[in-house]
Amino acid sequence: MKREHQHLLPNIVDPSMAANSTRGGGGGSSGYSMAATTTGKSKLWEEEAQLNGGMDELLAVLGYKVRSSDMADVAQKLEQLEEVMGNVQDDISHLASDTVHYNPSDLSTWIESMLSELNPSPNFDPMAAAAAATPPPQSLDDSFWTPTESSTITSIDFSDSSRQHQRQHKNSMVFEDDSSSEYDLKAIPGKAIYDQTQHTESSTSREAKRLKPSSGSNTDLLSPSSIGAFGVPTESTRPVVLVDSQENGIRLVHALMACAEAVQQNNFNLAEALVKQIGFLAVSQVGAMRKVATYFAEALARRIYRLYPENPLDHSFRDILQMHFYETCPYLKFAHFTANQAILEAFEGKKRVHVIDFSMNQGMQWPALMQALALRPGGPPAFRLTGIGPPASDNSDHLQEVGWKLAQLAETIHVEFEYRGFVANSLADLDASMLELRPSEVESVAVNSVFELHKLLARPGAIEKVLSVVKQMKPEIVTLVEQEANHNGPVFLDRFTESLHYYSTLFDSLEGSVNTQDKVMSEVYLGKQICNLVACEGVDRVERHETLVQWRSRLSSTGFSPVHLGSNAFKQASMLLALFAGGDGYRVEENNGCLMLGWHTRPLITTSAWQLANKTGSYSLS
Amino acid sequence: MKRAFSGDDVKMKKVKLEEEDELTKGSTGSVYLDDNLLFEVFKHADARTLAMAGCVSKQWHKTSQDERLWELICTKHWANIGCGNQQLRSVVLALGGFRRLHSLYLWPLSKPNSSSASSSSWAPFPPMIGSKPTTRWGKDEVHVSLSLLSIRYYEKMNFNNRSR
Repeated sequence: MKREHQHLLPNIVDPSMAANSTRGGGGGSSGYSMAATTTGKSKLWEEEAQLNGGMDELLAVLGYKVRSSDMADVAQKLEQLEEVMGNVQDDISHLASDTVHYNPSDLSTWIESMLSELNPSPNFDPMAAAAAATPPPQSLDDSFWTPTESSTITSIDFSDSSRQHQRQHKNSMVFEDDSSSEYDLKAIPGKAIYDQTQHTESSTSREAKRLKPSSGSNTDLLSPSSIGAFGVPTESTRPVVLVDSQENGIRLVHALMACAEAVQQNNFNLAEALVKQIGFLAVSQVGAMRKVATYFAEALARRIYRLYPENPLDHSFRDILQMHFYETCPYLKFAHFTANQAILEAFEGKKRVHVIDFSMNQGMQWPALMQALALRPGGPPAFRLTGIGPPASDNSDHLQEVGWKLAQLAETIHVEFEYRGFVANSLADLDASMLELRPSEVESVAVNSVFELHKLLARPGAIEKVLSVVKQMKPEIVTLVEQEANHNGPVFLDRFTESLHYYSTLFDSLEGSVNTQDKVMSEVYLGKQICNLVACEGVDRVERHETLVQWRSRLSSTGFSPVHLGSNAFKQASMLLALFAGGDGYRVEENNGCLMLGWHTRPLITTSAWQLANKTGSYSLS
Repeated sequence: MKRAFSGDDVKMKKVKLEEEDELTKGSTGSVYLDDNLLFEVFKHADARTLAMAGCVSKQWHKTSQDERLWELICTKHWANIGCGNQQLRSVVLALGGFRRLHSLYLWPLSKPNSSSASSSSWAPFPPMIGSKPTTRWGKDEVHVSLSLLSIRYYEKMNFNNRSR
């Protein structure tokens, strides 16, 4: 997946490459290939700078003309200006009306004139200014990196022109101005934010990527990603102390947000420029943050360049990815165990049971249920399974294969088993009459859906139809497992922000896993979701996750009432996590009868159970 | 043969048998125990002892793998899950056996684990310390272990089918 970076470069956009890359397998040996692309990119960056007549590209897009070589100088002067404006005693309103500027896009000259207006003394000591303006980095870092529980990110005001200089600026200015609003990083939970112990490692990796080696005193200056830091000699006089990749992490998040906002406003020039910057910044990170940023950057690039991912995926590839995801982290297992417990309890005392599974895939959920039914006191019921899945692109009947395997298992544990597979492009194509249901006195029905219902929200009317079909099936219980996030809002930027948090947390939780191949494949699996979420629109955008609250209101208004999952399910889920290696951060929570699995404080998936509302005497599961 | 022996008694019995056999065998230097006798002795060992005994020799290894022994170890100290012994036996043996059930799932669940459960009001069964002579497994441990055993069996089935 890391090879995607190729198509972020402006001259190398190649639709066929992008199309092929969706099939890319694991990350492989991305170490040295990353370095190769980085040096390639940095050269291109220099060429770009020349192309624009030496003007900085990002500022140019916004209407300011500043030479790349002057950037450090301009930055320094802005600092001085800010210092002076802060210190001035008299009224400076005359500056607004009296001073005349002839070329507002020439930032450099403008600053000079402002400075000379404000500050009569010509020998303003840059060292003193810089020293005064640089707060001690240590205390700053503490205030920045205290983990909190809030998960909001404040929006960034782009109309404010002062933002430009802040972004290009060295860190001292930035930290001084913005106490909390723009750099509120509590939004990023977990280890996505770099801690200081990584300092030395990242600074060496940065140095490896320096565009032009400047004089030795620049070792603690900002890395190549800052536009214009091309080893200008004046830099050696600045005693600026850096917070290195933490700074890059901040910039990365902001660049991502800025790009999303630009996309929302259809400002594709700016978006394009930003997405390239994101590419550079992403490689300066390591771990979860890097991967998340890479996937989101790719998705944004696809959206900008209109290189939409091929849809749908080959099912066997998707199955492989899902298997690895199943092994790497407990989310799917949690889903299966909790849903099975609810179904088991609903089937208590029934002689013939029928499960209708909307999310058949490999059928991994059912061996455990069949085993539990086999060990039921009094013997197992007759078990019937109807599996529904999308058509296979190679025309193989993989639903039947799964059914056959389950039948074999059922035979070894002496459970009477009946199976039917249904291929459907969408759940909305289903009808209750197709399923050959038996009367409910004879056969009890359970409907199970794991991460499937949200896809129906892409088509208007689909979810209502499916829910009414479910009602026709007269189920004893409906088990629903969904992602706990709102990725279906009307505003693109909101969806982007929400999903950035969500997938950052998810990727964080994967970091602890031992088996790297599993981990990489799981990341690819999640990356596909990210891509769909960010790059696609309309009917193609199927990853329309919604929160428990939203599903609750939808199901309640359609004629379902909630069934509380009992302590059995909770205890089994906790036990499952205890057995699961690779992360102490998983948490099981109960929320009004539903169970949520999360990473640290953030719930990520929710299992809920439902029954028909007009059932006489609703019951709670033990 | 249903007397409950303590660990010391087992050792005494083993030593006594060894002595008897050495007398009969003379100078061969190797201990010969009838398989059935070995089995009867092993019936009284706990999980750890049985596993270690399996490392002694080929004969001991073969006997210690006997599912009946592991069934005893598993079921002696776990919560009653309501089904009959025969029912349980047939299902578990089909899905991989009691020895696997114990070593892969029951044993790790009985060890103290560092990850703490969620702090809500439904705290799970507290982890038992492995060095205690008897470990009890509650209903939930049993169910989770059985479920995981069945999933493992199914996954292995997948693999076999794909390789065809």
